[in-house]
Amino acid sequence: MSQPGAAATTPRPSLGTTLMIGTLLLIVGSFVALGPGVAWDTMFINPLINSLLLLTNAVGGQFGIAIILFTVILRVATIPFTLRQLQSTRAMQEMQPRMQEIQKKYKDPKRRQEETLKLYKETGINPLGCFMPMAIQMLVFFALYRALAFVVGGSPESLVGLSQRVYPWSYLTQSIPLEQSFLWLELGRPDKTYVLPLMVGLSTYVQTRLSSTPATTPQQQQQQQMMTWMMPLVLVWITLALPSGVGVYWVISNVFSVFASYWVYGRRMSWRSLLPMATATEAQRPRPKPQPDVQGEAEGPTPSGPLEARSAHGKRRGKRKKRR
Amino acid sequence: MLAAAGCVQQNNPQGWAGPVPTLDGTVLVASTDKGELSALKTDDFSRVWTFPSGDEKPELKLEAIYGTPVIRGGNVYFGAYDSKVYALSLAEGAPVWDQPFDTDGPIVAGFAASETTLYAASEDGKIYALSLADGAPVWERPFDAGAAVWGAPLLAGDRLYVASVNGKLFALDAGSGEPQWDEPFSTGHGLISDPVLSDGTLLIGGIDRRLHAVDADSGEGRWSFKTDNWFWGRPLVNDGTVYAPNLDGRLYALRLKDGGAVWDAPFEAEEPLRSAPVLAGDILVIVDRGGNVYGLDPAEGSLNWSAAAALEKTVLADPVVLDGKVVVSAEGGDLYTVDPAAGSFVKVVPE
Repeated sequence: MSQPGAAATTPRPSLGTTLMIGTLLLIVGSFVALGPGVAWDTMFINPLINSLLLLTNAVGGQFGIAIILFTVILRVATIPFTLRQLQSTRAMQEMQPRMQEIQKKYKDPKRRQEETLKLYKETGINPLGCFMPMAIQMLVFFALYRALAFVVGGSPESLVGLSQRVYPWSYLTQSIPLEQSFLWLELGRPDKTYVLPLMVGLSTYVQTRLSSTPATTPQQQQQQQMMTWMMPLVLVWITLALPSGVGVYWVISNVFSVFASYWVYGRRMSWRSLLPMATATEAQRPRPKPQPDVQGEAEGPTPSGPLEARSAHGKRRGKRKKRR
Repeated sequence: MLAAAGCVQQNNPQGWAGPVPTLDGTVLVASTDKGELSALKTDDFSRVWTFPSGDEKPELKLEAIYGTPVIRGGNVYFGAYDSKVYALSLAEGAPVWDQPFDTDGPIVAGFAASETTLYAASEDGKIYALSLADGAPVWERPFDAGAAVWGAPLLAGDRLYVASVNGKLFALDAGSGEPQWDEPFSTGHGLISDPVLSDGTLLIGGIDRRLHAVDADSGEGRWSFKTDNWFWGRPLVNDGTVYAPNLDGRLYALRLKDGGAVWDAPFEAEEPLRSAPVLAGDILVIVDRGGNVYGLDPAEGSLNWSAAAALEKTVLADPVVLDGKVVVSAEGGDLYTVDPAAGSFVKVVPE
């Protein structure tokens, strides 16, 4: 992230950004060249399916262990994207007060847009910084869920589908059909004990709570609250109907996300925020004193610069801790 | 994440039980919906009964039916994905036994039956011999195949042949369930097709992409034929030639004695072949997963029709020949009759 003083020079894209853009271009190019269906299968689904089979054989046919290993490997491999997304989200959220001030201050849409772009430039934040890692992760998630659905099976029909995707290497087919029993689960069938759906819900709740930053407005708070409760509930409901293997992936993936959040947010991540009542918003906290609008177009609070805004943000958090 | 979850294919079992006619050809028993079995009059395909009817207490949910039902002595026997073996009267569809027989796993395989005994295999890896009359176990204990059984057991004389997904093929004494070979025939990969016996040779296909020919007396392998994908469909043997459907979408014609190719090249269908081929007169009929029906010349492997008949439905069930026509059951329970001479078809259920 560039410093505010470097706003006048055009920032060069980082290696990470270049890699991401390259990856996206490669994906789009393949989709155009091969056609969406073939490209999707060839680039994502089939390699994932065969990797799962390979891992299953490598761990002695224990498909449940293979899913856990696979999830960890996949999450480690995509950690640059995960971290980048978390960092971008955090930066965007920290910028929210200034964004709102621009919204309030400038009524003219064109001017508002100009000021917003200026703010992005000043802070060195690329709004696509959130989108691109998320897009790549989403692609991987879609592919993984589809791959799991094929490999986990759950019905003889799915095995007919699987037969069309296994590479012609006899080692891969040795463990087909895969051992479905794992702990108390039948990996190809939904968990009728409700333990796994509850684990999915709980881990999603923890992950969502820990990775969310303090809301800056009541609106944002409301949205966050809704996400915090709706996501786990919807996922519990979905897991009730999905093969348990997908649920296992989900739980492990959420645990991984919690660690990733801790890595990014560090001490700023409050374990106390796991409590449902911990929902204080930035809006309820003391705000910086309003400054006169230099443009004279509207009245409203204006922090003097991004660093100040961030330090003010940090100070407010510090004060809150003291009050506690 | 939610969007991704919504796109997960849930893989609910649908079933692929093939239709089966009574000996006199007046009634056809077929799965007319997921987890539902019906008896139909063959003259107009009207329903005689449907099981479960919906009036059962407690309510029955069979999930899906995969194995082709067996008709014996005025009753119909079948297994369902709910792990149970059912016996119904052919006339009314009413349960014959006090209660269905419970196994410890979903039932995918079809059954074999003698005049008195039903041989059922389950995903629990067990082979059960049950009295046709009351469902009571006949053997001292069920035979443990060590892994799920997907292919229908084959009864030939006093021997029962059973293959499991651990790659083993067993020959059992039909009366006691005792193994008859010193060692089971074994491959490293799952054996999944229904075994077929012809001229002392057992034919069975597997996940190892091979069709295996095994000596029925000794259990020694005779030959095997390798392809690009799994053999899951039951092979058909006619006049010394084995017609073996493969999930690579090809139908292979091989010599029974040595596995050599009979046709210049295998017939290529558009989609994978899971359904067994049938001979309707002098036409060899196959159906691929996409519901394309092909009428072939058995000698040459060439298409006898101007084009495949496209049912435009998923077909994984074995077809059956009834009164010169081929009856094809599609996913969801739709039934079609195909005229093997013309290659035309009619949807008969639902009309």
